[in-house]
Amino acid sequence: MGERDLVIDCEALTRSFPAGVALDALTLDARPGEVLALLGPNGAGKTTTMRLLNGVLLPDSGRASVLGLDPWTQGEELRRRTGVLTENAGLDERFTALENLEFVGRLRGMTEQAARKRGMDLLERFDMGHRADVRVQGFSTGQRKRIALARALLHDPELLFLDEPTSGLDPAATRDVVDLIGSLAADHGRTVVLCTHFLGEAGKLASRMAVLFRGVLHAFGTPGDLAAELWSRFEVRLDLGAPAAPPLIAALTSLPHVHEAVATERGAIVFTSARDDVPSVVAACVRERSTVFGVDPRDPNLEDVYFALEAQAARSRSTPAPDLVGAFSAEVPS
Amino acid sequence: MTALDPVRDVAAPKQRTDWGAVRAIMRRDLAAVTRSKAVMLPMLLVPLLMLVLLPMSVALAANGSALDVTKILNMLPGRLAEPISLVPNNEQLIILVLGYLVAPLFLIVPLMVSAVLAGDAFAGEKERKTLESLLHLPIRDRDLYIGKLLVSFIPSVAVSWLGYLLFCVVANASAWPVMHRAFMPTRLWAVVILWIAPAVAAVGLGIMVRVSIRANNTQEAQQLGGAVVLPLVVLAVAQTTALMLSGIRLTFLAGCAIWVVAIWLNVRGARAFTRDRMAARL
Ligand SMILES: Nc1ncnc2c1ncn2[C@@H]1O[C@H](COP(=O)(O)OP(=O)(O)O)[C@@H](O)[C@H]1O
Ligand SMILES: [Mg+2]
Repeated sequence: MGERDLVIDCEALTRSFPAGVALDALTLDARPGEVLALLGPNGAGKTTTMRLLNGVLLPDSGRASVLGLDPWTQGEELRRRTGVLTENAGLDERFTALENLEFVGRLRGMTEQAARKRGMDLLERFDMGHRADVRVQGFSTGQRKRIALARALLHDPELLFLDEPTSGLDPAATRDVVDLIGSLAADHGRTVVLCTHFLGEAGKLASRMAVLFRGVLHAFGTPGDLAAELWSRFEVRLDLGAPAAPPLIAALTSLPHVHEAVATERGAIVFTSARDDVPSVVAACVRERSTVFGVDPRDPNLEDVYFALEAQAARSRSTPAPDLVGAFSAEVPS
Repeated sequence: MTALDPVRDVAAPKQRTDWGAVRAIMRRDLAAVTRSKAVMLPMLLVPLLMLVLLPMSVALAANGSALDVTKILNMLPGRLAEPISLVPNNEQLIILVLGYLVAPLFLIVPLMVSAVLAGDAFAGEKERKTLESLLHLPIRDRDLYIGKLLVSFIPSVAVSWLGYLLFCVVANASAWPVMHRAFMPTRLWAVVILWIAPAVAAVGLGIMVRVSIRANNTQEAQQLGGAVVLPLVVLAVAQTTALMLSGIRLTFLAGCAIWVVAIWLNVRGARAFTRDRMAARL
């Protein structure tokens, strides 16, 4: 693919604040129609990256081309073609859902009628049609996210930035929003940049992932590229009411994708390759006549890695920052 | 293509103001403000107190007892007291207070209204957490600034002018039993209202914009702004009173000086108002 076809193409992007470097020489690219996940714990620099790429913040150094434009000299032109869901939905509580969309529509040069029509369509699509004329004050986080998502899509942007789209949502709302994002990305080849600290979410949606930690890019590639390292150990906790007996441990260990099984006070922890291995683990328990009270598949969370890295960094201050990807395959503290 | 280039902004071709975007900002902010009690209440109460209750009580006082203002007049330097000593005794209180003393005080109205509105327009975005999504929209920094400026400036001038109309009606009506004529508006007041009041509103704006970029919420902005604005008010009121009594020319010149300060403040404010700076303080 030629350079010209890239939706985002940035090189050595750096920005610091008085408190320190927020983003250190970031180089990455995004191809048309792909979902690119920026993955990292809080403070990794995801939001800063998004602001830089949309021309809201200026870099200290580095260069970027987004939709073929220079974000820092052609910002208005660029922002006409991008849509952003900020982490905090940023709706004005004094207005109704639809009024919040109308304002943005007018700013984007739509007529009032066109903005209303398009806004209403989107709200209905996101199941918020019945709340369109209600003031946003008192709406749940999930409802706000959906309205803000509608606002970001009002002008049918070519490039969509989503900052922590599922933060603060309950599991059901999370699933709704993740499904929604999946369908948005499929819309006529729209490119999506997804900032998140949930590995699972990124894994589900992203075609490529950039793993950031403390402003530094540690890994960049397709989930396939990274999965081997990132998901080599998928943790499943089994509640069996009592410690797993040695024959069960042996049976579990002999399963194809199970790397390790350890008995615990109430059952066992099994390390498998992926979520798909969970049914076979449960089946093995049943075959061994164990009573299964609960199965808790635990998506790897970057917070775990963050703490592991912090501990490691504290142990050896002189050594350079450890590789994040490597850290994923290290045992996750429980 | 490269990053921070200090001359880039200066070298960029001057682009025309996008009035559609400016209007969209203004319409939204105006609609929002009219729904906000915290903004509307002080905006209406203060003018009401100053422009309706004050003239009524002065007129009543002048009507009821023969309050003697010659003592006050004697305290003033001869030249300053002159315009008032010329009118009949029973009219002196009304002319002194309503014709002269209230006018400078009246400047609190545009100052306060513009400060409240600008605080809401600039610091309020941060407080309501709507600033980040606003910065991601295709509106130029300068157009955003202009929209926010106008939506604070125009209503504060409008409130001042409408308030003054109200003041004239109330003052003339309630002083009628003493004056037997409509003595408002005076030429001096016209200078204060048409020339000085908008300048003072612009000063209030200039200060609040600077303060709002730093402050994290409206309250903080109001406090910071108040600390700067209040001493100015006292100074301005005292100065204007003296100037008014010494004639229309000096009053007009004082207005010019205030305009210079206002323009300087706002030009600096516009320069400080950049996306990057706002995004760095989110
Ligand atoms: N406006 C700002 N002022 C000062 N520091 C900032 C600012 N924005 C971000 N930072 C710092 O930069 C780092 C990266 O922040 P951010 O991009 O928000 O990370 P993320 O979105 O991944 O959580 C953090 O250490 C944060 O404290
Ligand atoms: Mg963030």
